[in-house]
Amino acid sequence: MTKQRHYDGNPQKNSPALGATLAFLGVNGLLALLHGSQGCSSFIRLQLSRHYKEPIPLNSTALLEESVIFGGWDHLKKGIAVAADKYKPQIIGVMSSGLTETYGDDMVSALVSLRTERPDLEDLPVVLASTPDYIGSMQEGYQRTVESLLMTLAGQPNKAKVLRRVDSDEAPSVALLPGCHLTPGDVDELKEIVNSFGYKVITVPDLSISLDGHAELEAAPVVQGGTLLEEFQRLPECKACFSFGLSMEKAGEFLKKTYGIPHFNIPSLTGLTATDKFLLTLAKVSGKTIPERLLRQRSRLLDTLADYHDQLGGHQIAIALEMDLLYSLGSCLVEVGSEISVALSASQGSGNTLALPFSVEVGDLETLEESAAHCDLIIANSNGRQAAGVLKVPHLRAGLPVFDRAGYPQKRWIGYEGTQQFLFDTLNLLG
Amino acid sequence: MFTNLTKLDLKDKKCMSDAGSPKLCMKALPGEGAERSCAYDGARVVLMPITDVAHLVHGPIACAGNSWDNRGARSSGSQLYRRGLTTDIMENDVIYGGEIKLKKSILEIAAKHDPKAIFVYATCVSSLIGDDVDKICREAEAELTIPVISVNCPGFLGDKNIGNRIAGEVLYDRVIGTAKGSDERIPLSINLIGEYNIAGDLWGVLPDLKNLGIRLQTAITGDAKFDDLRSAHRASLNVLICSKSLTNLVRKMEIRYGIPFIEGSFYGIQDTSQTLINIAKALNDLDLLDRTLVYVKKKEEETRETIAGYKKLLENKQAILFTGGVKTWSMVSTLAELGINILAGGTQNSTPEDFQRMKKLMDPAAQIIEDTSSAGFLKIIAEKKPDLIVAGGKTKYLAHKTRTPFLDINHGRKLPYAGYQGMITFAETLTRTVLSPVWGHLKREFPPREGEQDD
Repeated sequence: MTKQRHYDGNPQKNSPALGATLAFLGVNGLLALLHGSQGCSSFIRLQLSRHYKEPIPLNSTALLEESVIFGGWDHLKKGIAVAADKYKPQIIGVMSSGLTETYGDDMVSALVSLRTERPDLEDLPVVLASTPDYIGSMQEGYQRTVESLLMTLAGQPNKAKVLRRVDSDEAPSVALLPGCHLTPGDVDELKEIVNSFGYKVITVPDLSISLDGHAELEAAPVVQGGTLLEEFQRLPECKACFSFGLSMEKAGEFLKKTYGIPHFNIPSLTGLTATDKFLLTLAKVSGKTIPERLLRQRSRLLDTLADYHDQLGGHQIAIALEMDLLYSLGSCLVEVGSEISVALSASQGSGNTLALPFSVEVGDLETLEESAAHCDLIIANSNGRQAAGVLKVPHLRAGLPVFDRAGYPQKRWIGYEGTQQFLFDTLNLLG
Repeated sequence: MFTNLTKLDLKDKKCMSDAGSPKLCMKALPGEGAERSCAYDGARVVLMPITDVAHLVHGPIACAGNSWDNRGARSSGSQLYRRGLTTDIMENDVIYGGEIKLKKSILEIAAKHDPKAIFVYATCVSSLIGDDVDKICREAEAELTIPVISVNCPGFLGDKNIGNRIAGEVLYDRVIGTAKGSDERIPLSINLIGEYNIAGDLWGVLPDLKNLGIRLQTAITGDAKFDDLRSAHRASLNVLICSKSLTNLVRKMEIRYGIPFIEGSFYGIQDTSQTLINIAKALNDLDLLDRTLVYVKKKEEETRETIAGYKKLLENKQAILFTGGVKTWSMVSTLAELGINILAGGTQNSTPEDFQRMKKLMDPAAQIIEDTSSAGFLKIIAEKKPDLIVAGGKTKYLAHKTRTPFLDINHGRKLPYAGYQGMITFAETLTRTVLSPVWGHLKREFPPREGEQDD
C-alpha cells in the first residue's frame, strides 16, 4: 500500500535517538550525551522512564539559537569535555539528532579535535552513533548504536589494565546481541538458556542488569549495570556469536568478519519452532544435549497448544509494532492457527529477506484504527489505547512505550516457557 | 520569522544572582546535565490541553513521536487534542523542503478530524530548513473554514518558559477576541490562566466557583474549548494560577480589553481561600465578597476537620520539595498546613519572582537546592535523609532508589490536588505514601547480620 496520507496520525514510531539511548543504557559506566536541543533528551527521558519506571540518565549538548547559526561542532566538543570532567564516566556515548544531522555537524572531526586540545581525554572511549530521525524508528537507532559500540569498543585493549589471563579450564564464552524487541526480562531468560549449555555469556547491550528495575542504584548520571568495558575487550575470544532479531544481523556479521567468530542470526525467540531452531543450533555449536529442564518446558507448551488450540485458532489479529517484535509475535500466532489480518510496522525494518507468513506494511496507529475494526485483538504499545478504545477491541500491550500496564519490562515472552506465557496473555484477552 | 524575543519581556528582568534561583536568563552548558526542556515543549504544555482542535507538529519524529498524549491534561468533551499528529519530516523533506507536505497534511487533517482549528508547531528542523510555517498556515486557512494557527516554537529558542510565553502570544494574537457575536463583558466571570486541568484539577475548583455564583469563562487552557477561548476577552477578571510564564498574556489583555488580573493558587486551604476572596474583591461585588467570606470559612473548617486525622500522622515529618515550575510557593504553604517541615526546597523552571516567594515562605533554616540535576537532587536526599519527597515525576524513580516516600505533584499524577477537595485528596495520598508498609521492607537488611536473627 502506498502511503495515502501526508501526516503521521498517532505515530507508533519512537525516535532513533531513543533507540540509541536504550542501547547505551545497557553498557556499564557509560554516560549518554545527546547532541541536540534540550527537549530532544527531555522527551526521551520521559518516554523511557514511564516505560521502565526507572530513572534514565541522559545528558545533552543543549543547543540554542546561536549554535544553529554557527553549527554545533564546538558545542559537541565542549559537551564531551564538560561531561567527562564533571561526571568521570568510563565511556561516553554520543548520538546525533534531527537538528544536528540537518546542519551536518561532523562528530568524528569534533572528537579528533577535542583530543588534540585535551590529550588527557585520549584514552576515554567515546562511541559516536549517527541517529538522524529519518533513518526509521527506535529499532534502527538501537541497531546503529550497537554496531557503533562494537566497532569502537570490541577488542580495544584498555591501557589502564593488564590483559586478563585466560584459564584453559574456564567455560568458553559466547557473545549475545539482543535486539530492542527483547525486554530486560527476556534477556535475563536468554542468558539463563545459553548458560545451561555450558557457556559463559557476554551480552551487548545487557539491559537485564541495568534496566531490570532493581532497588540498588547510586546517585550517578552514568549507567549502572550492563556490559562491562572489559567484556567488550574480551569479545574476540568468543567461540560463537548469536544475534537476535533481524536488525541485529549486521552487528553479528561485524564480529564474524573482524574476529572470525561464527555468527548465527536468530530472527525470533518466541514460538515453538523458533525456540526449537535456536536450541538445536545451540546444541550443535556447543556439542551438548538440550537440558532436561528445557525439554520439560517444551512438553508443557505442547500440552497448552493442545488444550487451547480451539481458542487460539481462527482469530483475526491486528499487530502494530517495531519490525523485529512484530515478526516474533506475529509468526508465533500464525503457528498456532491465528490469522494476522493487519500488520503494521513502525519502520521499513532492515529490508528483511525472510518469507513472513503474513504481509506487513509501514503504518501509524491511525491506520490501525482505520483497518482493525473487524479484528478480535490488537497488539500494540500503550499508545494503541486510542484505537482500541474507539473500536472496542481488546488490546494486548507490547513494544514501547507500555506505561499503563504493570510489569512489561519484566515480562518473558521468549523460549518455551515465555511462549506459553505470551499465549496465556493473549488468551486471557480474547476471552 | 521567529517571535520577537524582546516582545517576550525578558529584557526587563535581571538575572537573579541568588544561589538556586532558576537560571531563566542563563544558558544550560553542554554536557552539564541540567535536564531541562525546550521551547517547543513549553508551547505544547500551554496549547495542547485545548480539546477540540488538532495539534500538528511540523517536525521529525523525535518531537511528536516521543511525546504525544503524554500529559495528564483531561477533557470533559472532545478527545481530539490527544491525537498525535506530525508531518514526520524525512530526509527528502530536509532536502526539498517540507512546505508542500505540511500544507497537504493540514488539509487532510481538517477533512478527517473536523477540528475547530488547527495549531501548527514549528520545530528546530522545520525552522532550519527554512519552511515558512506562517505562510503555509495562511494559505491553508484560505482554503478552509477554520483558523490555522502557526506556533513558532523551535526548541533551540530556549527552555520551556520561552515556549510558554510564545504560546501566550499566539493565544493573544490569534485566538482571544476573535469570536463572532457579542463582545459584551460577562458579569462575575473569570478566566483561569495557567490551569491545565492536570488529573482534573480544574474540576476540583469548579464546584466552589459555582457555589459562589462565579462563572468560569474558560481556563487557559485546561479542558478549554476553542470557541470559549475566542470569547475569553468577555471575562471580567483574569486569574493567573501559580505560574508567571503567562504574565505577558494577562498584561496585554488588560491593555487591550481592560480586564484586570490577579495572581492566585488553588493548592492548599489557605491559598484557595485567599484566591477566592481576592477574586471576589477584584470583581468588585460586595454581595459576592460577603458570600465568599462566609463560604471560605465554612469550607476551611470542614476541610481542616477532614484532614485533622492525616495531619496528626504527618506532623513534624521532614520533607524535601522540588518542583518543575508551577505551584512551588503554593506547595510550601500546603505542606505547612499539614505540619510538615521543609528541609530543602528547589525549583527548576519558575520565574525568579516565584522563586523569591517560595524562599520567603520557607523556614530560613531550610536549604535551597542549587544543583538542579538528578545528581544534585540525590546528593541533597542523601545529606538530609528526609521522611518524604514532594517533587515532579521526572525525579520519581530516582528518588525511589533512595527508598524514601515520594509524591508526584506534576503532570504524571493521577489525582487532582486543587481546591478544598484537592487538599483532602493530597493529604490522603501523602499519608498513604508516607505510611506505606513497603518502606520498612525496603530498609530492612537481608539476610540479617549475625546476632540479629531473632529480631
